Amino acid sequence: MIAAEVAWLCFLFPFAGALLSPVLARIHPGLRDYGALFFSFLAALCSVMFIPYLFHPEKLPLESAFVWLSSPIELKVGVLVDPLSIVMANVVAVISFIIMVYSLGYMKGDPSLARWWMWMNLFIGSMLLLVLSNNLVFLFVGWKMVGLCSWGLIGFYNKDEKKYWIGGPPPTKYTTPSHCGLKAMVVTSAGDVLMLGGILIMYSYARTLNILELYETSSIWLPEMAKSSGMILLMSILLLAGPIGKSAQFPLHEWLPEAMAGPGPVSALIHAATMVKSGVYMVARLIPIFFYGYWVAGCSEASYFFILIAWVGAITALVAATQGMTALELKKALAFSTVSQIGYMMLALGVAGLTISSLEGGFTSGMFHLVNHALFKACLFLCAGSVIHTVHSIYMNDMGSIRKYMPFTWIFMFIAALSLMGVPPLPGFWSKDAVLASTLATHNYPLFLLALITVVITAFYTTRFVGMVFHGRESKNVENLKQKGAHLGEAHRTMVVACGVLAITIIVLGILGLPLEHLLHEGFGYTLIEKLHLPVEHATEMSHLLVPLLSVISVVIGIVPAYLLYFSGKLDPAGMLEKHASLKMLHKFFWNRWYIDSFYYMFFVGGITRLFTSVPRYIENPLDKFFHKIIPSIPGRFYSGGRDILASRYGREEVEGAPAEPVVGTSLGFALLLVLLFIAFYLIAMFIRVWL
Amino acid sequence: MIPHILLQIVVMPVIASVFIFLTRYKTGRKAGWIAGITLLYTTALLCLVCIRVYQGERIYEEYPFGPMINFNLLADGLSIPVALIMNLCCIVLAFYSIHYVEHRIEIIHGELDERTWLMYYTRFFFLFPFFSTGFMGISFSTNLIAMYFFMELLTIIPLYFIMAQFGYSDFIERYKVALMCLFWGIAGATVFLIGILLAYTTTGSFEISSLSALSGNPAVTWVILCMLLGLFTKLAIFPLHVWMPWVHAEHPTCIAGLLAVYANIAAYVMVRVLILPLYNDFKVFGIPIMAMALITMVYGSLLAMAQNDVKRFAACSTISQISYSVLGLGALTIWSIEGGLFFFLSHIMGKAILFSTAGILVYVTGVRDMREMGGLVSRMPITALLWIMGAMMLSGLPPFSTFAAEWIMFTGIFIFGTHGPSIALAIAILGITAVGLTIAYTFWSIKRIFFGPLKPEFANNDKIRDPPVLMWLPLLLLAVVSIILGLYPKPIMDLFHLVLGSVF
Repeated sequence: MIAAEVAWLCFLFPFAGALLSPVLARIHPGLRDYGALFFSFLAALCSVMFIPYLFHPEKLPLESAFVWLSSPIELKVGVLVDPLSIVMANVVAVISFIIMVYSLGYMKGDPSLARWWMWMNLFIGSMLLLVLSNNLVFLFVGWKMVGLCSWGLIGFYNKDEKKYWIGGPPPTKYTTPSHCGLKAMVVTSAGDVLMLGGILIMYSYARTLNILELYETSSIWLPEMAKSSGMILLMSILLLAGPIGKSAQFPLHEWLPEAMAGPGPVSALIHAATMVKSGVYMVARLIPIFFYGYWVAGCSEASYFFILIAWVGAITALVAATQGMTALELKKALAFSTVSQIGYMMLALGVAGLTISSLEGGFTSGMFHLVNHALFKACLFLCAGSVIHTVHSIYMNDMGSIRKYMPFTWIFMFIAALSLMGVPPLPGFWSKDAVLASTLATHNYPLFLLALITVVITAFYTTRFVGMVFHGRESKNVENLKQKGAHLGEAHRTMVVACGVLAITIIVLGILGLPLEHLLHEGFGYTLIEKLHLPVEHATEMSHLLVPLLSVISVVIGIVPAYLLYFSGKLDPAGMLEKHASLKMLHKFFWNRWYIDSFYYMFFVGGITRLFTSVPRYIENPLDKFFHKIIPSIPGRFYSGGRDILASRYGREEVEGAPAEPVVGTSLGFALLLVLLFIAFYLIAMFIRVWL
Repeated sequence: MIPHILLQIVVMPVIASVFIFLTRYKTGRKAGWIAGITLLYTTALLCLVCIRVYQGERIYEEYPFGPMINFNLLADGLSIPVALIMNLCCIVLAFYSIHYVEHRIEIIHGELDERTWLMYYTRFFFLFPFFSTGFMGISFSTNLIAMYFFMELLTIIPLYFIMAQFGYSDFIERYKVALMCLFWGIAGATVFLIGILLAYTTTGSFEISSLSALSGNPAVTWVILCMLLGLFTKLAIFPLHVWMPWVHAEHPTCIAGLLAVYANIAAYVMVRVLILPLYNDFKVFGIPIMAMALITMVYGSLLAMAQNDVKRFAACSTISQISYSVLGLGALTIWSIEGGLFFFLSHIMGKAILFSTAGILVYVTGVRDMREMGGLVSRMPITALLWIMGAMMLSGLPPFSTFAAEWIMFTGIFIFGTHGPSIALAIAILGITAVGLTIAYTFWSIKRIFFGPLKPEFANNDKIRDPPVLMWLPLLLLAVVSIILGLYPKPIMDLFHLVLGSVF
């Protein structure tokens, strides 16, 4: 077994790669590309070396740290290796490496490749720092840096050429990549700063930021905190704001659909496989604290943490899925799906604390779904990237029937799509089933119902986008391309290989689904129960078949109408919309994203714009006038020498014609007044001193 | 051992300045280098002092001047990091100014004969080193009158004269704004002086160390009030901030960065003169100070959003950023004070970079309105990098030192908030939310200036490219310093702790 120190290398290698990129780019383009790839490979290698530990959870957790700051705050910075961080690090590093291989082909010939590799490696390093850090500050450092990288990568095409715009078609507005980057930065930052507030509230009671110490000492500081009523609730809300922002959960989910303005690999890397998972990771990290607080220390406020995140997850899952049904841009459909699937993970983590028996089940199913989703969503996005690359359009109605041109991409995307729907025996089925089962086990039926409806909708929109892209009728765009003699076929071989590797992994994981779930269950369970001594009652066994049966039935309910509409062509989607006014209204509602985005633009962007435009008018300018015109004019009546001096030198007209004219003379006057005042005070002081 | 090391640090810039003045027609073109190299020398001395202080020494030099007034200099853990970073900013801007002043003279006076040109050119560098003297003097003074003297020196010699002679706008407007700056500077310093004199009436001494004798005395409230009012004028706390946008906008950009130092140094004075000796009496003022700081933070951010002028934009962001350190000082916990001071240092580095980059933009494009820029990243990648770094530093993003500072500072503010009155907790949460506003306006400015399509008038202009090395390299090095301090803040925090740790 390797030492914990190796975990440092996981993120130091990509950071080194990022720093070296501009240097390597000067030497040789090949060195630049393969050098960047090499560093991300090393990161993946280091992460994989920790997998054996998952089979021996009793040897965990490991820590390696050094004193970074001793006063006024004592902080040891280091790495923490436990089942959670091993799983996360492997998801991040391995999938990132595959995506790096893919981007070798996708980004070929781009003029800003050095910048590209730099951002990508910086991103991978930051994400690994986030998941491996042993303390909340460096977790937050990684957190902020992935945010920054996502800003750089979403707005990668920062010249905002028309071909990179997303949104539309008119009347829906287009958005430029740099706008999308800014939007992501601002929205996620709003969550970030609040989360930092939550961390600091935690620190002010616990006086430590080390994750393990926080767990260990929670029996001391949590009851202390519970003494001031509302404090735990406040901390929960603040702490959850970060994950809700970063993982694009309701109500801070609106940035993710726009984040698709970045190049294809970015969408796969940041907005599907890794970065958006950081919120899930953070929630998972915090669960032991709040679980302890609620079920052991008896702080009733701690339960709000779980209730909040479970409901946020369930609502997000539904809201985003409905939007996915109407999306026209392929990547945006996938983005809505990502938001929705992360909602499942949040739901699972939320239900983990709703009853005393659901901790293991909820925790494991949430993380298991995270792993699976990372794989199939990365595969979907990479395939989508290939398709968009080939047909030169982001809209699904510009594709259609391209299965024959891109057979491999079709197969890979199909496999991933089945997994997304939750078709057995693919991994998506196992983990979604686990999420549903753990939700049902809490007997919280509204949550379960929301989750089940989302399964139906997921099946619908997945079938829809596969049908619209690969089946159905050929679109005009494809015909035009064919006429022009454009190359309609598989993309660059690194792209096909990357997608293939992911698809094969999905199948393997599907076959090994149950053993894998068991392994995670053992690992997490051991850490939570044996190491952290959290109390767990084993639940009464539920009927094994009920949940899978419901889940499969829901999938079928979703697939059938979508198949008729988008595969076989037996029903015409546009015609149906025309015929049923209610359907049309619903479509409009979903297409406009429940009007949440428009509301945010109106309320926040519009509101702040109104605020900052009125600030100069109603506050700054009157203040300016008061200080620079009205006050100086008072002594100016007694002393206008300054003006005369200037006037005699530069002509009276010039001086008097100047707009804020009294300022000149009167500030001289004021200055003189102050000097006199000063002398007077000095004399008085001296006098008092002597006299006393 | 170097004799009179602190005196050298304070006086050497003045000697350089006199030298530049006397040899102005001979070494005129080298004036910038002379100033820069002198500052490099004093920085080297500062580093030596810093090492000795870090090892636990307190360096104290006595220079009596008259009855009760002296120019004694003290280097301890509090003054030395502040002095060092301020001097670094001065060096960077000295080298940056070498090209910038040429550009200013050309804009203001057009074609000139060699002798007149040299006269103007050396005049700038003759005035410039006084910044360093003023900053070092304020940091090292142990006497209140000496401190006041250096404050006034800063306002009158470098600020007023440089602004009046090298500022933007036409002649009248320039003088007007310079006078405005002078007026505000003197007003602030005078109110501060009134506080000093009030204290003197009770203690009979001008020494900072004797201020603690005031503790518990009824007069102390008035002393603190007067001094605070004076410092608030310097710190541009709402509503005493109105001078800042004017002054920053009309300044030649090469010293605008130092104007942020000039304003923010009052935070150091506040710790040195008020918080350290009068901690118990100062506690009453904690929450009002925090509230005012919060208002200024939000107000400054909104004002920054409303600006289209790239220089005014930076000025309004200074208003907002300075208040962060004031918020930290107001919370009066060891974390927030050390963090607040660290934030002050991080902010001046960030602001030096941001302002100077704004200067580069004006230097290269000749445009100040952000609406007329756009897409410049393709032509000016290094400038864009610098601006992005500046934006990151202001927004408190890692790995820059602002992040570490903000984190330490807000730790203190939250500790005060959770264990103090609930209004303090509300201020803490609102304060940390205001950081979000900073991110919004700084990153918005990046988009406005550098992203999007390049304007056609720039596309056809070959002159739109990165400036000479001497203008960007010093800034980049300053950013590296900030990154180093951000990655490993232990030395600087240990230094602060030497002084503050023993008090709290």
